Amino acid sequence: MAFFDIKGLVTPFTALTQLGKAPHTVTFPYHKKETAERYRGLHYNNIEECIGCGNCSTICMNEAIDMIHVDGVEGGKGDSGLRPRVDNGRCCWCALCVEVCPTGSLNLTKEYIYVTPDADAFLWTPGVSNPEGKEIISFNSSVETSLGMYNRIPMPELEGKERVKSFAEVMLYYSEEEAREEATRCISCGLCTEVCPAHMHIPEYINAIAKGDDNEAIKIIYDNNPLGELCGKVCTRRCEDVCAMQVRGDAVAIRWLKEYAVGRAETADIIKEIVNPEIKEPNGFKVGIVGAGPSGLTAGYYLALKGFDVTIYEANKYAGGMTMYGIPKYRLPMESLDKQIDYMKSIGVKIEFNTKVGKDITFDKIYKSHDAVFVGVGFQVPYKMGIKGEEAVGAFPAVNMLFDVNNGKTPDIGNKVVVIGGGNVAIDGARVSRRLGAEVTIMYRRRVVDMPADWEEIEGAEHEGVEIMPQTIPVEIITDENSKVKAIKYLKAEMVADDKGGRPRPVPIEGSETIMEVSSVIGAIGQEADYSFFTEEALKEIEINRGRMVVDENMMTGMKGVFAGGDAVNRTADAISAIADGFKACKSIEKMLVK
Amino acid sequence: MTDTILDKEQKLVQLLEQTFKKLSGKVVRQRRVTVSVEKELVPSVLSYAKSQLGYIHLSHMSCVDWPENNNFEIIYILWSPADKVQLFIKTLINRENPEIDNVDMIWKHANTYEREIREMYGIQFNGLVGAQEFILEDWDDMPPMRRDFDTVEYVDDNYTFRPGREDAGDVREEIVKRSGEDIPDFAKKYSRD
Repeated sequence: MAFFDIKGLVTPFTALTQLGKAPHTVTFPYHKKETAERYRGLHYNNIEECIGCGNCSTICMNEAIDMIHVDGVEGGKGDSGLRPRVDNGRCCWCALCVEVCPTGSLNLTKEYIYVTPDADAFLWTPGVSNPEGKEIISFNSSVETSLGMYNRIPMPELEGKERVKSFAEVMLYYSEEEAREEATRCISCGLCTEVCPAHMHIPEYINAIAKGDDNEAIKIIYDNNPLGELCGKVCTRRCEDVCAMQVRGDAVAIRWLKEYAVGRAETADIIKEIVNPEIKEPNGFKVGIVGAGPSGLTAGYYLALKGFDVTIYEANKYAGGMTMYGIPKYRLPMESLDKQIDYMKSIGVKIEFNTKVGKDITFDKIYKSHDAVFVGVGFQVPYKMGIKGEEAVGAFPAVNMLFDVNNGKTPDIGNKVVVIGGGNVAIDGARVSRRLGAEVTIMYRRRVVDMPADWEEIEGAEHEGVEIMPQTIPVEIITDENSKVKAIKYLKAEMVADDKGGRPRPVPIEGSETIMEVSSVIGAIGQEADYSFFTEEALKEIEINRGRMVVDENMMTGMKGVFAGGDAVNRTADAISAIADGFKACKSIEKMLVK
Repeated sequence: MTDTILDKEQKLVQLLEQTFKKLSGKVVRQRRVTVSVEKELVPSVLSYAKSQLGYIHLSHMSCVDWPENNNFEIIYILWSPADKVQLFIKTLINRENPEIDNVDMIWKHANTYEREIREMYGIQFNGLVGAQEFILEDWDDMPPMRRDFDTVEYVDDNYTFRPGREDAGDVREEIVKRSGEDIPDFAKKYSRD
């Protein structure tokens, strides 16, 4: 530095330029500066909203997130019971975990200072270790911007006006491209498998579809469900109710994806070629099965694979039980069912058609000539409505009408039909009546939201012009001099909260009595089983409670060697529960006889 | 209507395309123009934009890895306070031997961006002066922002698991345990890792 350094002498005076400017002041007491709006600080997880799908743990590229048991969190339907724990020593705050969280329960907060002398304390469970984090959430995810795909690929279907012209299948099903795209929405958490009565390997077959391995998907489906296509078309799909994507968006179309996969195999031979099951050498044991419904067919299929000599006794001309005679053909076409049953026959399942147990062959004979018997008779006999005029001509149960229509008959229902009930059978009855050319009204005691029918079925009925009258209680069927249905008298109801905490009850409104002219009244308020085929000795041993056979955990009734399943056993009364029962019974029969 | 709104943006594209033969531009939306040039032209286009068109500010420099096309893409984002238009200048460079000219003589602060890109993507800036290390210390692995860099593998190799993490569960196994599902072996390859 030179002695005559002018710059060094002048520079300090540049501070004078600040004269006259507003002073820069700091507030007192000191306020910590707000972080940026989307600051990525420490995690916070809303423990109640979290469903423990583990997507955060899967995506973390630093392996910083574990799924652990947390006190006070019980797993259940749609919740794995695990919660994420973060190793903050590894976290890099990329926030991918937040981006892919399907429920939006995981967030990052404004908090970023974390100092502790104990390095192990960096391992903590968001939401449990920092409940106060809820107040300072900063980085969150939204359905619009998230990396997760929340919108379902729409299912192509026939238009309502077209549908009512014939019994053509309503759903047109996914194309290959659509199916692949829909399959990639799955995050493979497997929450769905717990609520599926058959515990199908859902994430596995969806992943196989996503990767383009349709044949592998079919094999995985056939591992514990031999009626994959049937389920793909008509399953009650409780899996979709607990889908992780359903919390903030649309559930993955698990049912349609199953249909897509199994639908690739167009004939029974192709199914056999793809599934290529290992059929064990005959083991010499004989199993008789009463009823070729889903439970009987399932038990028969897996028993036949294991080398049993299986004979199914079916009262009707075709196999499938309620899925054949109760489900209209626009939902489950005959060819589809035929294909699946032909495949079963090809691996050695024998079916005796037109053989009603108790009439054409006695139960005793089946019991004595087989080593084990499986009873899957289902609920065939419809409940009575219990109102005046029920015996009139033109008043009949929906199951009887569906049976006739599926048998190729055209029942005379006139041009104005009232269907009573709110389940899938009621909707089926209504939609079939529309196809027979009648105007249709559904009367249901409770609200539309309370209807036990599938929402897609209800929507489908509405699109086809079916009118739904909720909170309506029929009281009398009025007949003419030929005792033919002329009109129906009904009351409107209001919903009254149940004191005991149950669902609201419909209570008739006084003076709301109305009469509607109709040509037919179709009842669909439930069915029960007909056990008259059992011998008296059998009935002494088999306990029947409220219309259902009582079985132990091995699906065995009180009578040794007699197993049962399907609608006549379980409370859920749907195809997939019947399939699950059949599968379970097969395992038990094998255990009892072989091992 | 839209024509008048996008007037200055279109004019900018026109001007640049007239001046540089091997340049193609596009109006993205109001106040945003993007042009693609060959990497040899980048210094010329930048200095032209700065000195002649009023794009005096380099807002940002960024890089994208495109292993699919065997390219890196360098993006210079310029800003004109007068026009109030953002000008994106993009160039592709080969992934095999990634190099491009340094531009810190046009904007001094480009130096910092370039050092960061050099470290994170392994791109050489010809003529760049400055410490080799930017943020990473003693890094001898693949540049970490390249897309073929396997973060999980790196983490596995370099970090130990903190004790106390052994109780970690698996969601799928937890559910299988409860439901009694029996996943066949051939299906397991489709389960979540």
